[in-house]
Amino acid sequence: MKASLLARIPKIIFFSIFFLSCSSDLDFDQVKDLKLEPVFVANLAHFDIQANQLLDDGGTNIVYDVRDFDVFRDKFFNERLKKAEFDLEIENNIQRGFVVNLLLMNENDQVLETLSYSVPASTGGENVVKFPTEVYENQRLELLKQTAKIGFVVLITAGPPLNENSLGNLKLRSSATAYLVIE
Amino acid sequence: MKKAFLILWLFVAISCFSQNKEVLYNFTSIPQSSLVNPGADVSYKFYFGFPLLSGVSANLGSSSFSAYDLFADNGVDFNQKVRNVVNRSSRNDKIITNQQLELFSGGFRIGDKEKRTYVSFGLYQEFDFFMYVPKDLAILALDGNRDYIGKSFNLGDLSLKAEMLSVFHVGIHKKFNDKLVLGGRAKIYSSGANATSTRNSGYIYTGQSAGTPNLYNQIISSNLELRTSGIATFTKDEYEGSEGTIAKDIVHNTFFNGSLGLGLDAGLTYYIKDNLQLTASIIDLGFIKQSKDIETLTYKGTYQYEGANPDFLGNNDPENVFDEFEAAIPRDTLYNKYTTLRPTKVYSSIQYSFGEYRPDDECSCKAQATKSYRNAAGIQLFGMSTPREPLVALTAFYQRKIFEKLDVKATYTFDTFSNKNIGLGISGTLGKFNMYALVNNILEYKDISKANSAAFQLGINFVFQDKED
Repeated sequence: MKASLLARIPKIIFFSIFFLSCSSDLDFDQVKDLKLEPVFVANLAHFDIQANQLLDDGGTNIVYDVRDFDVFRDKFFNERLKKAEFDLEIENNIQRGFVVNLLLMNENDQVLETLSYSVPASTGGENVVKFPTEVYENQRLELLKQTAKIGFVVLITAGPPLNENSLGNLKLRSSATAYLVIE
Repeated sequence: MKKAFLILWLFVAISCFSQNKEVLYNFTSIPQSSLVNPGADVSYKFYFGFPLLSGVSANLGSSSFSAYDLFADNGVDFNQKVRNVVNRSSRNDKIITNQQLELFSGGFRIGDKEKRTYVSFGLYQEFDFFMYVPKDLAILALDGNRDYIGKSFNLGDLSLKAEMLSVFHVGIHKKFNDKLVLGGRAKIYSSGANATSTRNSGYIYTGQSAGTPNLYNQIISSNLELRTSGIATFTKDEYEGSEGTIAKDIVHNTFFNGSLGLGLDAGLTYYIKDNLQLTASIIDLGFIKQSKDIETLTYKGTYQYEGANPDFLGNNDPENVFDEFEAAIPRDTLYNKYTTLRPTKVYSSIQYSFGEYRPDDECSCKAQATKSYRNAAGIQLFGMSTPREPLVALTAFYQRKIFEKLDVKATYTFDTFSNKNIGLGISGTLGKFNMYALVNNILEYKDISKANSAAFQLGINFVFQDKED
């Protein structure tokens, strides 16, 4: 009996401290509302083709390459990506016009979307073209998420022939912006 | 009820300061004051603590925000509150919890009264958590890197440690003469669970410079390490317990199957004059050899992200971002024993006593009654080791004897967490029954949720003095 009374004393002190004290209403359930919305930028693709690599007779020609692009395989990233943007710029110092096509392809090499950018032939001055931002949302985003490879198709439009002594280069630089929502 | 008590307890912990026990320090009518200074001038014939209730303490502090800042039910969007807290915090702001529970404690005098040599012992459980605000990582998670081109996010901001342990201790103190008390305490630590990640460095960088082949220069340089002991089992799929049994297993390991360590406390009390007293102590100068169920995870390496880079030469060397990343910064698991140092605390105080105390109801027939004072005032200093700079606090205090067996102490503390931390303590003895309650940061009790830190200690002891007194 006495022991239980004694045992109660610290509890009484403990509670009295807390009844004497006040506290604003706290709502710990708010943790559930935590929603992170970070925006990340990253390199997307780049290349730098020297004119002398493009041996060509002056007609319309094509060079082609394909690269794996497997970021969407990551489930965490894939599920939380709510919007994406591609920014792309091409610098052309070659006296030929180019059309650069980016082919977004799935694992079975089916083309999901083709992005096409054309740049005029260089006339000696600075020749950098910045293209409008490609915005991926909703349906377009869903398609993008199936992308597993990017094909690069460079069409050389007709003009003066190129050989191993040709000067200049064609540079592509691009970035992706990922809008994530983490809840 | 038990659950409600636990939740309340947790709330106290969440609303609450560091391990500075400024109210308990040198409060010598409480036997537990010898835990913060083994050379405290405590005397008894013998005492024992009420099992489980002799020493209960909890404290938690956060130097840059309070529970209110995050959880106020005021309609402000929680994400905005998180953002405000992160913006206001620096990488050196800390979040600290310490909780202790004495399972048993006791002490006795060796030999007769004149020898003035005392032994004390006990077993207590302790939980420690220490973390710096991982500011850069929080910004990265909240905002991403887009608006921080050119900034290096510091991975070294991630610094934390947590430990659950039990401490068995035996101490001895002796009053060599009327001027000097010396004491020491040996401790055996048994750590049931430890997680330490305090040696991190590295950065995540996104930069932009003209004339480079890519739009961004993106580098992750990582030197991350998490060392754990007594935890790995619970993270494995083979573990068959539930959440409830994890707690039970950790408690079991803490007392019966922990990683062992050794520690030492030492302290002294010196009377410069009859009414001018100097004390100093060092607590938990010790280490634990983490050896049970150890697992160390590391992520070490450097990765530069270039994006896709076709060369139009017809060779498709497969590029796999994740594989490349994992090859550059591999996750390694090591099983090496490691040693952790206990957070070492130092205290010192100088105290001036005044106003002689004469119990008027008692006869003054004692042959050699030692002079006692009604009031004491002074200054205390506290310091504690942390993974970066030590934590320090300065306390002014006033102690008063209200009755022969009823003492109160008030403290005013300046520290990282607050510059107006007022603490109050009371210790009363009724017969053999000693009870104490100490709280700090009482100004904040008008709205505890807004306190950056708070702490309380309370306990019950049975103290036996010599009858002839």
